[in-house]
Amino acid sequence: MTDDRRPSWRISQAEAVQMDILPGWYATRARRRRLAALGAVAVALLWVDVVPAWTAERDDTPWPFFALLGISTVLALPTISLLNVATRGVTALAEKQLDERQVAERLRATALAHRVMHGVLASLAVALLTAGVLVPDEIDVPASAALMTLIALFMTNMMAPLLISAWRLPDPPPDDEDEDSRTVPGAAQRVGGKTAT
Amino acid sequence: MSTEEVHNRIPMLRAERGISRKELAAALGVHYQTIGYLERGEYSPSLYLALRIAEYFEVPLEVVFSLKPFPRLGSETK
Repeated sequence: MTDDRRPSWRISQAEAVQMDILPGWYATRARRRRLAALGAVAVALLWVDVVPAWTAERDDTPWPFFALLGISTVLALPTISLLNVATRGVTALAEKQLDERQVAERLRATALAHRVMHGVLASLAVALLTAGVLVPDEIDVPASAALMTLIALFMTNMMAPLLISAWRLPDPPPDDEDEDSRTVPGAAQRVGGKTAT
Repeated sequence: MSTEEVHNRIPMLRAERGISRKELAAALGVHYQTIGYLERGEYSPSLYLALRIAEYFEVPLEVVFSLKPFPRLGSETK
């Protein structure tokens, strides 16, 4: 059942990222970078949420944490959707649905994201060790803090390749239709059916 | 990203044969934007893709790709 449905879902996903939804939001490199920055803000909000979650008393009401989580989600969901369309699903589609350039771009993005995650994990380890040194008494870790940290780590790991890929992406070449209205590159070199040397 | 530059004549061959980027991309099984990046020199193809492009245009590989810029047409005529 699942095997029967997976290919059609993958095809739908591949078709969805080829549709230009709100192209004005990601048509140029500057706009894509603005969107990527918005995605980074959504992830940063989660990390902002982690700090008070760790310092909160057990009896504190958790709604402020969930409010920030909600704002981050509202920012992240449309951003992820638009960036997936902007990158044509380079980091979202199955590898067999990508061509060699897209696979190479995905590898670069995931390699850079891997380094970013190293930095995040190292910073987290330093922060926890520092907190352990500064507060030598036994630390009472609220469950919400552990949950928030896990959510922040998960979202950072999930979004980093997409944000990096969108940030790096050069402006795509114009479509043939757009181009034909101007000039076709090389058309000036056309030589009666023969390839020039 | 590699700074090694591979020059190509894909735009000229494509224009000569009246083939759109999307048609060439469909024939080669790649995304049409990949053809655009190839033409702009922002992506160098694998040997496999380069051979398939040459095969598609029915010309030797060195007619399509070169490590040196292709001379302008007419520049070699005396």
